[in-house]
Amino acid sequence: MLIKMLTGNQAAAFAAMNSMVRFVAAYPITPATPVIETISKLVEEGIMEAKFVPVESEHSAMAACIGASAAGLRTFTATSSHGLAYMHEMLHWAVNARTPVVMVVANRAIGPGWNIWSDLSDSLSQRDTGWLQFYCSSVQEIYDTIAMSYRVAEDVMVPAMVCYDGFVLSHTSVPVEITPLEGFINEYQPKWRISIEKPLTHGNILPPDAYISLRKAIHKAHRKALELIPEIEEEFFDHTGRSTPMLYETYRFEDAEEVLVAVGAVASEARIAVDILRSAGVKVGLLRLKSFRPFPSQIRRTLGDRKVTVIDRDFIPGVGGIVYQEISNLVQSDSMILGVGGADVTAEMIAEAFTKLVEV
Amino acid sequence: MEIRIHGRGGQGVVTMSKIIAEAANLEGYFSQSMPFYGAERRGAPVVSFTRISEDPIYRTSQVYYPDILIVLDPILINFPEVFSGLGESSIAVLNSGSSADVAKKVVFVDATRIAIEHGLVVAGMPVPNVPMLGALLSSEIPISYKTMLEVVQKHFGADERIVSSFNEGYKGARRKTCRFTKMHFGHKGVMECEIPISTPSKGVAGRTGLWRVVKPVVDSERCNGCMSCWLHCPEGVIVETEEGIEIDYAYCKGCMICSSVCPKNAIKHESEMGVVQHAH
Repeated sequence: MLIKMLTGNQAAAFAAMNSMVRFVAAYPITPATPVIETISKLVEEGIMEAKFVPVESEHSAMAACIGASAAGLRTFTATSSHGLAYMHEMLHWAVNARTPVVMVVANRAIGPGWNIWSDLSDSLSQRDTGWLQFYCSSVQEIYDTIAMSYRVAEDVMVPAMVCYDGFVLSHTSVPVEITPLEGFINEYQPKWRISIEKPLTHGNILPPDAYISLRKAIHKAHRKALELIPEIEEEFFDHTGRSTPMLYETYRFEDAEEVLVAVGAVASEARIAVDILRSAGVKVGLLRLKSFRPFPSQIRRTLGDRKVTVIDRDFIPGVGGIVYQEISNLVQSDSMILGVGGADVTAEMIAEAFTKLVEV
Repeated sequence: MEIRIHGRGGQGVVTMSKIIAEAANLEGYFSQSMPFYGAERRGAPVVSFTRISEDPIYRTSQVYYPDILIVLDPILINFPEVFSGLGESSIAVLNSGSSADVAKKVVFVDATRIAIEHGLVVAGMPVPNVPMLGALLSSEIPISYKTMLEVVQKHFGADERIVSSFNEGYKGARRKTCRFTKMHFGHKGVMECEIPISTPSKGVAGRTGLWRVVKPVVDSERCNGCMSCWLHCPEGVIVETEEGIEIDYAYCKGCMICSSVCPKNAIKHESEMGVVQHAH
């Protein structure tokens, strides 16, 4: 087993390489730039066998990825914040085109005021494009999630975003197991592709009934992804020995009367916050939501009638927390906004905020 | 164990943090190296955090109460806030020729001198991280000499200068028990903002004069008062007085554009880091 000290961004690049990605088009943006730098170096040195296209914008990056994916290549890109926002049109396009592109998003606040630090509003606000979205809580998880995302995305023909907190995870180095992935994931076998030998039209005009049918098919694909993911998790465990949840995980949950729901790096700190609160006698557990799309609505049963508090590292004016909004559709819950615009979130801060919330 | 490293851009803070984490991992620990990114620039203050643990690390936040605090830049030793969060059992590892009452346990070594003597100087700036990694072994870090040197060589190559400066940092480190009074810092004020607008104001980026590696010094004999320096200064720190040209060193970042554009060659380079500069 190869263990290397890698940042989250480097882990993402290695995961793309070991997932047999054959096409990368990207435009640099802080804090996702090192993903592209690493890939471009790996390609240049002949270690990664892929075509790397340094395009002139993120809009073009996604357009090129859609094209390459439609041509039958496993495709990857990376972006953040304004770059992701600039892709917005193409994000919709990738979904309706049924191109299983996988993209990493190093989450960053959107300006102005100019802010390069972690905030999940950039990708969470792309919720309605229909992409699958997985939120990582550790560097190792970034590596693992990319590999599993290809399996899910290619099976259901919906693109997937693998998101992780900018700097907090993207630039933090930890020992990462660079498990070879062959066997878990093999060369991409597209279910269809555009080619000169067998010409077909892709993205053609659809009358209303056919359009409705397409949109329904994508909706069903999300449902199918929910069913598929536990099988893929299991296969990944058999292959790597690592149990990396893709939908959600719970911590100190059995006898919990109250639950913290959290996403991303903050969910990792929240785990320590649960320990702090437990030692103060509070019967609290954690539900870390990993998959925002497909949305695992079965967590309604998991949460049961426990008192729920959702932590959001995102904030939408007029709405509040995006994750809170989603969880509130399932169960009545309270909201905590922490760490917006890169404010550091400590376990002690979470525990204190939770205690205050309960008191009120 | 939680470690916080303070230094300035170009001194190798981030690399040092990563080397410690990697060496700790080789010793069988879980480890994490987390640099804090702000305005990346040579000379600007840089902070990085390292965690070492027997158990998996779930923390993703910064280090507020370090067990070991490393200061790579001698100038930063004069700033009390650098030592925030130190407790009775914390150790301070300083790049300094002498001790300071900043923690109960202080390890110190003149790493800048060692770096200069071994030619570890990049663009006029001594890089003291290698001798400091040697000195760090005199703290309570659970890393052996052999492992640390192995990782240092992996990062910098087996160059003789690297090995000898590491060894000199290791052997030259002194440990002293000091008088220590725990410091308390109030909460920093919260900046309010309703509309993201501002007007230029002095010192919004802090005392940027601290970022300086090279200092421009005006030779009034040679200066003919053409004001080309004033026109080109990106920081607006050059002013005309009755005595001639004056530079506000509190905010001058030392970019030396003034010196490059001076038609009379009247602005000299003076080192801030104890390294002789090449003449202009």
